Amino acid sequence: MKYAKVYAEDVNVGDELPPLVKGPMQQIQLTRYAGASGDFNPIHQDDEFAKAAGMGGVFAHGMLSMGFVAQALTDWAGAGRVRKVGVRFAALVRLKDVVTCRGRVVSKSSKDDVHLVELDVWAENQRGEKVVTGRATVALPSRG
Amino acid sequence: MPETINRGVIGKEFPPYAVTVERGKIKEFARAIGDLNPFHLDDRVGAASEWGDIIAPPTFATTFRDDSLDYNAFLRELGTDISRVLHGEQEFELHRPLQPGRTYLCRGRVVDVYEKTGKSGPMGFVVRETAITEGDELVGTMRSVTVVRL
Repeated sequence: MKYAKVYAEDVNVGDELPPLVKGPMQQIQLTRYAGASGDFNPIHQDDEFAKAAGMGGVFAHGMLSMGFVAQALTDWAGAGRVRKVGVRFAALVRLKDVVTCRGRVVSKSSKDDVHLVELDVWAENQRGEKVVTGRATVALPSRG
Repeated sequence: MPETINRGVIGKEFPPYAVTVERGKIKEFARAIGDLNPFHLDDRVGAASEWGDIIAPPTFATTFRDDSLDYNAFLRELGTDISRVLHGEQEFELHRPLQPGRTYLCRGRVVDVYEKTGKSGPMGFVVRETAITEGDELVGTMRSVTVVRL
């Protein structure tokens, strides 16, 4: 069964993703993400270790924020539609931070019945500072 | 504290490793993100879908680790340790979703190492690329940039 949350024909350059709000971040989520991802770097778990490393305390895995951005994409485009997502981790996400994921369509193309939409994606904290910036490509079904 | 990063690791290829995706791992990963999409979590929704089973979230390949690789040894080879490294950039390119019960082969290599001085001092950058294949088919590629505080 093919399903579609959005069709290629209905997307326009400049369209924005519905914002996805995550958090406030809690230590338990970082611990859970460590277990699920296999990234047990103590810098995300152990405040004293993170302070000794000069990071001022624990902070979230960049990959967790990237997971949030990917969720914002699949919430909009549908699961299984993301072809590419690439991000730069621009600032640290701290405990109690609220992360809002956003995106905007920058281009559309169709070739051989494959309909690609490219987006700028980013996530910002409660102060409006970008913590993640990047690009994504999704392949959308056509109404045709 | 090292002054420079070892550029000699450019071109280094890591031993290929196979990963068989466990159904529960996909669900655990989706839940840890808080992504409750039924295409990741509900076996019946997956079975009725165009993929015939649940599919992993786009960043799931980050769980594809080589348990036999001594990451700390690699960091020592670079001239650093775990307390000095940060994740700078990450990209996933997927030709089709990753699914439970499938066995994927991962081949990673170091594609670049360079240094730059930013506002917080000198930094090393290690660019790695991992190709994910199933049989002869390229399913996806992961690219990561690790930042080393020098």
